[in-house]
Order: sequence, then structure tokens, then C-alpha cells
Amino acid sequence: MNQLIIDLYDIWEVLSAEVRRVFSDSTVLLIFFIAPLLYPLIFCCMYRTENVQDLPVAVVDEAVCDASKRFIHKLDATPEITVTYKCCNMSEAEELLKANKIHAIFYVPKDFSQRIATLRTAHIGVFADMSSFYYYKAALLGSNAVLIDEMHTIELQRYGMEGLTGEAARVQMQPIVNEEITAFNPTGGYGSFFLPALLVLVIHQTLFLGICLLGGETRENRRALQIIPARLRIRSIHRVTLGRSLCYILIYTPICVISMWFIPRWFQLPQLGNLYEIMIFLLPFLLAVIFFAMTMGNIFVRQKLSPMLCFAFFSLVLFFLTGMVWPQASMPKFWLWFSYIFPSTPGVQGFIKVSSMGASMADVSHEYLTLWIQAGIYFITATFSLLLIKKFKFYNAR
Amino acid sequence: MRECRRLINAPRYLILLTLGAVLTFVIFATMTNKGQPQRLPVGVVDLDGSYLSRRICHELDATSGVKVHAVYNNHMEARRAMQRGEIYAFYEIPAGTYNNVLQFKAPHFVLYNNAAYLLAGTLCYKQLATMGMLAAGAVQREVLRKKGFDEEQIMGLIQPVAFETRNISNPWINYGIYLMTTLIPAVMAFIALMHTGYAIATERRQKSVKRWMQKANGNALYALLGKMIPYTAWYTLLAIIANLIMFGFMGFPMMGSWLLMVVSTILLIFAAQCAGAFISSCINDPSLSMSVCTLYSAMSFSLSGFSYPIESMPPLFQSFCWLYPIRHYFLNYREIAIYGNGFGHCWVNFAALLSFGLLLLIGAFMLNWQTAKKTAQ
Repeated sequence: MNQLIIDLYDIWEVLSAEVRRVFSDSTVLLIFFIAPLLYPLIFCCMYRTENVQDLPVAVVDEAVCDASKRFIHKLDATPEITVTYKCCNMSEAEELLKANKIHAIFYVPKDFSQRIATLRTAHIGVFADMSSFYYYKAALLGSNAVLIDEMHTIELQRYGMEGLTGEAARVQMQPIVNEEITAFNPTGGYGSFFLPALLVLVIHQTLFLGICLLGGETRENRRALQIIPARLRIRSIHRVTLGRSLCYILIYTPICVISMWFIPRWFQLPQLGNLYEIMIFLLPFLLAVIFFAMTMGNIFVRQKLSPMLCFAFFSLVLFFLTGMVWPQASMPKFWLWFSYIFPSTPGVQGFIKVSSMGASMADVSHEYLTLWIQAGIYFITATFSLLLIKKFKFYNAR
Repeated sequence: MRECRRLINAPRYLILLTLGAVLTFVIFATMTNKGQPQRLPVGVVDLDGSYLSRRICHELDATSGVKVHAVYNNHMEARRAMQRGEIYAFYEIPAGTYNNVLQFKAPHFVLYNNAAYLLAGTLCYKQLATMGMLAAGAVQREVLRKKGFDEEQIMGLIQPVAFETRNISNPWINYGIYLMTTLIPAVMAFIALMHTGYAIATERRQKSVKRWMQKANGNALYALLGKMIPYTAWYTLLAIIANLIMFGFMGFPMMGSWLLMVVSTILLIFAAQCAGAFISSCINDPSLSMSVCTLYSAMSFSLSGFSYPIESMPPLFQSFCWLYPIRHYFLNYREIAIYGNGFGHCWVNFAALLSFGLLLLIGAFMLNWQTAKKTAQ
């Protein structure tokens, strides 16, 4: 019993020292408090529109007939596409494309009306600008909707000519009806896909950077051992790790509530999970990140500024490794295993499932377990690396 | 010169960052080498269990884009699998489909796809939707054949209008081309920016700004330039090698002139460094200046507009994107590599990149002013 009280007291001492350290460093304050709240806000505003609308396109209508005009009108009427130019020939349209004024060309060839009249398949050329995935997507979505609609119109006419009308013609036209339901991101928008992953990553990166900075500073000032209460024996050094992590948990819990729960609500991102489950899921995530950062900080960081340098490629690589962009199912096995070094991978995957997709805790048990295992391993490594520092007193071997 | 010596004495960060850049390149190159994700897992809820539904399953499995991960007994099972992330989409074939088809009753197929994973969801959707269209088309064709139409008439009836799509400069819809052509230079620029900022912040931290200035005969501009040039040379070299690999070895489309692309790369690195030098010479506190550098450049990937077009963002952000060198580089890349335009089309972007040099001048001025103030004290 007595031992427990001593334990708790040590942890309390480290905790309060750490809180003081955090609040006395303006850089760390910026990273801990401003960045994780500011970034989600900025990015949410940035991607509010979700999808490309009114993509400017040009039409080259060489057929000039009833059907081609109807097609162009329908094209213009879609939310995705606006017909901004009507060109006489292809070279004119190509110039516009090169000058970046339009992002797709629809070309109706001369024989279009003839082919329609002779009941054959008529073709329309689509030249899509591939410089951005979203131009392509908007052009494709808009034009496909029109194409299907137009197909049905003409089809019904033709069946009519063959003596098939009414319900019979409709069934012949659509012997199987395809319904499409887009789940968990109804508009298929970029924001709803990108932002939830970003929220997790921002927490991961700011926490990581902040802890490394604090660690680096003590190393640089040769005060590494001051964070360890003097009378603490080597065997109880884990209390330092625990105390410090408790401090970060305390700071990050309210930040997580705001950025992972309230911000998605305000910006109407898909949110099917409830706060309780999200927080339960985030607990091992935070722990894993904290211990991971401490391990890295103890082993690699000797100067305060250096962690920021590596930040550059790190964030991007992490985002890519989470499997949000490139699905995990078709990732090379080596990178899949490599990605499990970082808490961000199960963190992002799990958060998306719990929050955006409304999965229950049982559904994310794989990610949840991974996070706890990571937290456990990094806790041990963090404690041991601190032990090494204490033992060999190598604070700043420059 | 001084910076060179310092670099050679302590090559740790240079090596580390170069390794990081190479690692980034390797990760992206190996992951996207197939162009599009292949064999994505999808599911089928087969409530019919007929010849037709089995055939749809098999044909789905035979496409290169998706594989049938499992056939589920009911909707709930498939939904749970989707929530667990095991499948990215599933098809629900209702009971009595085959009978209904034979009786001309038009059964409903339902396609659920998970758009929370945008790329995977979209690709699966495309594959499944195509399969649905083909199934309907096959039934139509069978019926029309029985009625005695010939093939051309049937095609005219089933598909009166068709698209012939030409995807300019990326006919394979290769995702790697989107990602790497802009991301890799962006990472290089990011690293160059941070490293320049770091070099200047280190001088402040070690309180050796005075000695540094003396080396440059008190001219802050020369001092900054001298500091930047080794990094400019190194990172430009890296970026150009990366471009060579991408456009040469990996065969990414490149329509325009190589010279312009190389100049554009050099200017990108230079402009990024100018931004870094500007930030860290304006802000006195070394760690604060580094954080501002980080905060500034963390948005560069989004604001380059290569993933989500700038034109669709709120107007406020459209004006922000001018502050990022990578935005101008991306526009240049589009002009040169995709459209094969000459200098006449993209001089604006070159000018914009060059104008980041102004930041360097302001930075030098600030640095001068700070040292003057210090000596006055």
C-alpha cells in the first residue's frame, strides 16, 4: 500500500514538472494547442465544396442536328459540367484546352445524325484533361449521366419503331435495373474522404513533434536527468515515462474531443460513431503515439530543432502508408508490414471505421489490439532508452 | 563556403534528409507501379442462388480490377464486412432474379460502395457498375436475337450512343502519374525549405550570426545566398534525378521541352529556399521560426492543387495558393509535360517563381536590421 502511494507520488511529481515545462515553451504551446485546432479548421474550410462543380468544357458540334443539340443542352444542365465554349473545329478547342480555359472537349462527329437516323450506334468523342483526377472524374460523371439518359430516349424511340411500346419497351430496355447506393460518403466528395484521416494524422504529428521537441531541449541543455526525480531508483524509472505520458494525455483529451468530434459535426463530415466509442478507441492511439515519440526522442533526438527537419517527408509518407489513398489490399506486403511500425496506420483506419462508417468496437478489434500492442512495446522501449541515458549519461554526444 | 565546410563536418542531416527523400520516392514508385490498384476485394450478397447470379459472381472474379472476397448470405453480413474494411463494395442480387428476368419483370440489383476510401471505392464501383450494365446488355441481346435481329441492329438498339474517350496524356489512368509528378518535387522543395530554415536557425541558436556576417563582409544578402547555394545545388540535383527517373525510366508522359522542366525544377527549389530563408530571418526565435516553416509548408501539398483543384476551393484559399512555389511548379508541369506548351504559355509561372527572390531581399534586409540593432545595443 505504501509502495503504491510512493509510486503515485512520483508520477504526480513528474506530471506536474512536465506540465510546467510544456507551458513555459512557446513553440511547444504552438504545436500542442494552436496547430491541432487550426489545421482541421483550415482544411475543413478548404474542402467544403467536396466536388468539382461546373467544370468548364468545350463542345465541337459538327453534326448540328436535333439529337446533338439535345445532348449538349443536357450536358450543360448537369451540376458537374458547364459548356463554356462552342467551337467550330477541333483545333480551336485544343487551343482552349492548352490555354487551360477548359478541361474537357466533347466532339460530335459529322456522321452522328446519319448514324442515329439509320439506327446504328453513333459515337461522341470525349477528350478529358488528365492533369487532375478531379477534372476527369467530373467530366466522366456528368457526361455518363447524360449518355445513359440519351441512350434511353433514343432506345425507346427505336423500340417504338419496332412495334414495342410502353411497359414492354421499358422492360426490354432495362431487363435488370441497377440501383446504386454510395455509403459512408454520400457525395463521394474529397473532403469527406480526406479530412477524417487528416484529423487523426494532425493529432499524431503534433503530439509526436511536441514530445520530440521537449525531449530534444532537455538533451541539448544537458538536463536530461532533471526530469527524473533525484531519489528515483533505476528499477522504478517507468514512473517517469508514465508521469510524462499522463501529462500529454491530459492535454490531448480535450483537443481530441474538439477536433475529432465537434469539428466533424460542424463541418458535417460523415459521422456515424458516438463520442464514447471514439474516445475509447483513441485512448490506446494516444498512448501508442506518446510512447513511440518518447522512444524516438530518447534514441535519435539530440537537438531541439532536428525533429522538425524530418517532419517534411514523414507526414506525407505516413498518410500514404495508412492505406487511405492506396488501398491496403493492393499494397505490397513489405510496405504493409512497414506501415505497422507507426501508430498512425491502425489509428487512421480504426478512426475512419468507427467515426465515418459507424463500425462497432468489435469490428475494429484488429486495429484496437494493434494499437494496444504498439503502446505496450513502445512503453517498454521508451523506458529502456531512458534507462540507457541515465546509465551511460550520454546526453549530448555531438 | 563556410556552410559547405559545416555540411562536410556534420553530414548527418544531409544524409538523413537525402535518405528520407529517396525513401519517399521508393515507397511511391513501388506502390503505384501497377498504375491502378488491382484485385480489390468486393462481395456479393447472393439471395437468388441461380445460374445467373453464380455467373455474375464468376465474371466479376475474372476481371483484373476486383476479386470476389466472399459471397454473403444476407445484407447485414456484407455490411459488417464493409465496415470492417474487408470489402470495398458489394452487389446485392435479390431472390427470384432469374425467374423475374425470364418473365420480363426487371429485377433490381443494388450496388453498395464504400466511398470513405475514395480511390478503392470508386474503382470497385466502376467495375461492378460495368458488370451490371453488361448483365443487362446480355439479357437484352439474347431477347433481341430470339426476335430475329442481326448483330448490327442489336448494337444499334442496345447502345444507340457511345462515348469514345481519349484521356489526354494519361491514357492508362495511371494513378502514379498524378501522385508522383507533383508530390516528389514537392517533397524536395519542402525539405530544401526546412533545411535552409534550419541552417539559419542553427546560426542563431549557436549565437554565431555575427561571425557569419563577418564572413560575408557584413552583407546579409551574400551571407544568405552563400548559405543557400550548397543546398540549392544538392536538392536541385536530387529533384532532377527524380524527374529523370520518372519521365525517362518510368515512362511518364512528357510532351514539352526538357530544358524548361529542368529550369522549372531549379526555380522551384530556389523559391522554396527563399521562403525558408525569409521566415527564419524574420523570426528571431530559432525554434519558433522552424515551427512556422513547418506550419507553412504542411499546407503546400493541398494548395498545389494537384489532388483537389484550386478552382473548386473557396476564393480565400485560391489567393493563398500563390504563396506556394509548388503551385507554380505544378502549373508549369501541366503546361510543359502534359500540353507540351512553350515558354510563351508559362512565363507567368516562371516569373512567379522568380519573384520569390524578393522574399530573399526582404529577409536579408531584416537580418541586416537585426544585426544593426544588436550592435547599437
